[in-house]
Amino acid sequence: MTFFTVVLRGLLRRPLRTGLTLVGISIGIAAVVALVGIASGYEKSINKQLDAIGVDIVVSNVSGGFMPKVFDESLEARIAKLPGVAKTTSVLMEMQSIEDAPMMMVSGREWGGFAWEKLSLMEGRMPGDGAERAVVLGRMAAEVLKKKVGDKVQIEADELPVVGIVDGRSVVENGAIMLSLKVLQDVTDNQGKANFVDVRVPPNSTKEDVSRLCQRIKEIFPEGRALVAGEVVSNSQGFRIARAMSWSTSLLAIIVGVLGVMNTMLMTVFERTHEIGILLAVGWTRRRIIYMILCESALLGLLGGLVGISLGALGVQILEHTTGIRGLLEPSLSPKLLLTAVAIAVVVGVVSGLYPAWRGSRLTPSLALQAG
Amino acid sequence: MNPSAASAIPLLQAKELSREFDDGHVRALRGVNFSIQEGEFVAITGPSGCGKSTLLQLLGALDRPTAGDLLYRGESIPNMPHPSRYRAAEIGFIFQAFQLLPTFTALENVQIPMFESARSRAERREQALALLKLVGLENRLDHFPSKLSGGERQRVAIARSLANEPSLLLADEPTGNLDSENAHAILNLIIRLQQEQGRTMVLVTHDPSIAERAGRILRMKDGQIVSDQTAASKEAHRS
Repeated sequence: MTFFTVVLRGLLRRPLRTGLTLVGISIGIAAVVALVGIASGYEKSINKQLDAIGVDIVVSNVSGGFMPKVFDESLEARIAKLPGVAKTTSVLMEMQSIEDAPMMMVSGREWGGFAWEKLSLMEGRMPGDGAERAVVLGRMAAEVLKKKVGDKVQIEADELPVVGIVDGRSVVENGAIMLSLKVLQDVTDNQGKANFVDVRVPPNSTKEDVSRLCQRIKEIFPEGRALVAGEVVSNSQGFRIARAMSWSTSLLAIIVGVLGVMNTMLMTVFERTHEIGILLAVGWTRRRIIYMILCESALLGLLGGLVGISLGALGVQILEHTTGIRGLLEPSLSPKLLLTAVAIAVVVGVVSGLYPAWRGSRLTPSLALQAG
Repeated sequence: MNPSAASAIPLLQAKELSREFDDGHVRALRGVNFSIQEGEFVAITGPSGCGKSTLLQLLGALDRPTAGDLLYRGESIPNMPHPSRYRAAEIGFIFQAFQLLPTFTALENVQIPMFESARSRAERREQALALLKLVGLENRLDHFPSKLSGGERQRVAIARSLANEPSLLLADEPTGNLDSENAHAILNLIIRLQQEQGRTMVLVTHDPSIAERAGRILRMKDGQIVSDQTAASKEAHRS
């Protein structure tokens, strides 16, 4: 018999209660894994999309909601004149509820711009010119909307025909509806406006070249910002809110978990007052009593953490394949996130065990022996 | 009297030992004085409520006196910085209600005190096996207390009390929960072990026939010692 046997036996005395407590912590940890995983997956998807299109710098307004506010599309011409710019293209991007799909990205791209370059046609054709009132769908978007070439998609008040289905090599591109900038400006009543200018730099540019260029863009567009592709998402207001919300929701779930473990461990200490008396009588030190209770609660946390990350991963899998959401999420459950979640669970266990352990160790042996 | 024995420090010494409960409303011990030498078998007897169990708890550092002092080899028990170390190394308890841990087998219960010793896992197991064999329970090693008879449970408890080879055995009505046949066997076992291993034993009982088996009897009444009868004085009394 080892000390671990003693710890394990303590937890197994009331298997149902231990099990329920475990479920309590696992739900908290599952929430961390799922919510934070989805948020960071979103960040990764956007970066992948920028990479797929070949964008080096993204220019947009600072203010705005989930999408930044629009500006006059003449900005693009001014940026294009700056030294160190290879190509520019204006984009008007909106998040809209389209038919049955709750949130879908609608991307109006300047006709002939490089944002169209990397799309490979799977079915149908591309729009004939910038004036054709038609859309192409990313392949996931087509699946979610259940549309084929020849069907119509309603955007705002207009019904536009689907002329092609494309593969854009990233979840964000594949989940989007793409059309000519002019047409989207028309449909959304944003004539002459865009909310992004995507900038490409020459292939041999250094990091310093890129940050110098960002600086210059800021000078001609003081109310906006120019971000290197990798930093776009982490600087987005919407994403920051999403990330904060996912952590604070998780925190709430964790607090519930802490209270659950603390309650269980306190009950354990009360129930086992007599046994703690015996342990003290046979010579166990108070320190060993504390250690025993802390090990029990830490083990409870560890098991809850392991179950929790499995539940979280499973939940995310289910969400990923739910119709309506499918194609929008690309959760990223990195080993770092999973390890962090388990570490949180163990810390939750230890912290929740501190007070019960202290209570247990303060018992007077003679009185504890008389208890129940 | 042997002069070297007289000058030797007694194993236990009580000096005006008092223990009050409920802010002095209950005076369980009222200034008790005695010495116990190493190797003695002392019975403490008296009617219930006379303070004998309280005295035993003070000897085992399970409780603290309100006044007076209690010395173990000259060191004050109430002032020990680590009373648990004293309990682990020097004391073996045998209780009336056995006090076994219900979720551990006989073999495991005997090993519980050994976590406070420096023994390895294998040594703990070996020692527990040897002790259970000594008390005649080698066939009940993996039984939980609920599957053992009262006599068997007390045997496990006796084996556990010897786990860390204590110098002092403290037994509180060890046969009180047993039928007469088992009581007789358990008492014989305790006395045999005490004599064979030369340990000091303090046994609390209200039963005069059990007290008679001890080398020395301390009789208590109302929190005080009213008589101290040694084997020699018992002999003198008889003749």
